[in-house]
Amino acid sequence: MSNAKQTTLPLSTFIMLAWRNLWRHRRRTLITLFSIALGFGLAVFSIGLQDSGHNSMVKNAINMGDGHITLQHKDYLASPANYRYIANGKKILKTLSEQNIQGKIVPRIALQVLASTANNSVGVRLQGLSPASDPFRALLEKNITKGHWMTDTETRGLVIGEGMAKKLKVKIGSKIIIIAGKKGGDSESHLGRVRGIFESGIAELDGYLIISGLEFSRKFLVAEGADKTLEPLTRIAIFLDNEEFIEPTKAIITPLIKTDTDIVVLDWQQMMPQLVQYIIVDDVSAYIMQVFILLVILFGIINTVLMSILERTREFGLLRALGLKRQYLMLLIFIETLLLSLMAVAFGWAVGGSIHWYVAVNGIDFSGLIPEGTTFAGTFMDPVIYSELSLERVIQLTTIVFLTTLASGIYPAIKASRIQPIEALKT
Amino acid sequence: MSLLKLNDISKLYHQGEIELHALTDINLQFEKAEFTALVGPSGSGKTTLLNLIGGLDSPTTGKILLNDTNLSELKEQALSQFRLFQIGFIFQAYNLVPVLSALENVELVMVLQNRPVSERRNRAEHYLNLVGLKELMHRRPSALSGGQQQRVAVARALAANPKLVLADEPTANLDSENATALLDIMHNLAKEEETTFIFSTHDVRVMERAERIITLEDGRIKSDHKA
Repeated sequence: MSNAKQTTLPLSTFIMLAWRNLWRHRRRTLITLFSIALGFGLAVFSIGLQDSGHNSMVKNAINMGDGHITLQHKDYLASPANYRYIANGKKILKTLSEQNIQGKIVPRIALQVLASTANNSVGVRLQGLSPASDPFRALLEKNITKGHWMTDTETRGLVIGEGMAKKLKVKIGSKIIIIAGKKGGDSESHLGRVRGIFESGIAELDGYLIISGLEFSRKFLVAEGADKTLEPLTRIAIFLDNEEFIEPTKAIITPLIKTDTDIVVLDWQQMMPQLVQYIIVDDVSAYIMQVFILLVILFGIINTVLMSILERTREFGLLRALGLKRQYLMLLIFIETLLLSLMAVAFGWAVGGSIHWYVAVNGIDFSGLIPEGTTFAGTFMDPVIYSELSLERVIQLTTIVFLTTLASGIYPAIKASRIQPIEALKT
Repeated sequence: MSLLKLNDISKLYHQGEIELHALTDINLQFEKAEFTALVGPSGSGKTTLLNLIGGLDSPTTGKILLNDTNLSELKEQALSQFRLFQIGFIFQAYNLVPVLSALENVELVMVLQNRPVSERRNRAEHYLNLVGLKELMHRRPSALSGGQQQRVAVARALAANPKLVLADEPTANLDSENATALLDIMHNLAKEEETTFIFSTHDVRVMERAERIITLEDGRIKSDHKA
C-alpha cells in the first residue's frame, strides 16, 4: 500500500475533541468537578487546621520548653536527675555568644523538687531562669493575676500558677520550702516567697511549675557539688529566629562543645519525642481520612468517565472503523481525564483555597468546642486556630489530587481502546 | 485488473455449540468506479460481507485482495492504516462525531491521514459543496437533518480519497426525497471521482440506481447481474 504510512495525529485535535467531549454533558461534568472540589476543599480545610494545630503545639512546646536547640547533660534525657548539670555554664554561654547564632541563647536550671508549705507538699518542676529576659516572661507575665513578675535582683522570689497556689494553699508573700534530693541521699532545702501568681489556662504550667531566678535554683546545683563561680546550669536553650536554622546551628555548635563530653546538643524533636510521636499518629489518622476522600474522588471520576465511554461505544467503533488506532483512542480518553484533572485541581483550589483563606484570616475558636482544654503531649494548642498551608502541602495536595484524578482515567482508557469496531457499531 | 477480489470467502460464527454460516463460498470481483448494490433479506450476509471487505472482520476461509493487498495478512495496526487510506465508510445512522461540525467531521479522516491543514480544509469544503451543504458546514450533526447527516458522511468518505466506499444501508433512515437525492450524489461522485461504491440495501429506489446488483440469500450469492 503506497500511502499506508504510519501517521501521527496532531495533539491539538485530541485536545479539542477531548475538551468538547467533556462538555457534552455539561451538568454531569460540573457535578463531577463540584464533588471533586468539595472533597478537595474538605481535605484542604482539615489539613490546614491540623497543620496549624501542630505548628501551634510545636511553637508552644518550644516556647514552654527549651527552645529549638537545647544543650544539656548527655544522660539527662534518658534519666533526669538534678546532679546531671552543665558544670561550666559561663564558658559555654560565652562560647555560644561569640557565634553568629540567629536567635536567643537562654540559660536555665530545671530541677525536680518538692514544694512544701505548712498545708501541703507536692512534687514540682522548679524552673530557674533570668526573669527579665527569658521567653517565659512573654508567655506568663501577661497572665499574672496576683502580685507581679520577678526582677533579676530577687534572690528568693517565686512565681507560681493558680493551680499550684491552690494545692499549696499559698498567696502572695507566702513562704514555700523547696526541697531537692541530692545524689548522696541527703536533701537540700531553701526558702522562697511567692511574688506572683499566674493563670495561663494550661494545666501543665498552672499546676506543676514554680519559677525562680537563676541564683535561687543554682543553690541546689552547688549543693550537688557544682562550682558557683562557673555559673552551672542544667540547660542552655536556644530560641532561633527561624526553624530552618536548626540544622545549620547544630552544625556550628556541636564541634564547639566536643571537648566537653558530658554535654549533648539536641533539637526540639529529640527533646520532645512524645510530641513528635503524637504528631505522627495524628498525621497518620489524617492521611487515612484523606485516602477515603481520594477514593470518593477516584470512584466519582471513574464513574463519570466510564459512563461517558459506554455512551460513546458506537462513536468509538466509528472512529476505529475510520482508521483511528487503538492507542490514539486510549490517548483521547487519557486527555479527557487529564483535562478533567486540571479542572478538578483548579476547581478544588478555588473551593479549598477559599475555605483556607477564610479560616486563615478569621480562625476557628476551639475553646468552646473543647471545653476541657487543648493540652496534649506536654504542650497545648492555641484556642483559636488559623489555617496554615505550607508550600510543600500545596504541592503535595495538588499532586495527589491531580495524580488520583489522572489514575482514574487509566481503566476507562484501556476499556475504550479494547472496543472492537464491528461490535461497537452494532450498539 | 480488478480493484477488489474475493476468493472463496466463507464466514462462520459460533454461538455456543451452534455454527452459523454467515457467508459461504463467495467469489466476486469489483472494478474501478463500479456502483454496486448488495441486496437480500435480513440475515442474508450483506453487512457481514461489507465488514469483511472493509477489514472490520476477517473471513474464516478465503482471501480478500484490494489492489493485490491480502487483508487477511494484515495485523491490526496495518488494518487500521488500510481502512484509513483505502476505504470510506458510510453507515446506516450515527455516522458523525456529534461534537464536531460538518466541516470538522469531513476533515477528521484527513486529519488522521496527516494531510496539511490547507489541503484538508479545501477538500472538505469542496466535497461539502458537492453534496450541497457548504452553507451548513459549521453546524454540528444535531443541527442537521438525517439526510443532511448522510450527505456529510458521503463527503467525509470521498474527501479522504479512498479507492472503495462501503455503505451499509445508507438510506434506511431517510425519506424518499432524501434517499433519492443521496443516491444521485453518490452515483455522480462515483463516476466523477472514479471511486468504487458497494452498498447494501433493501431499498428498491437504491437498487434502481445501481449498475450492478448482487443478491445474497442465506450467505450465498443467488444472483449477480448488471442493471
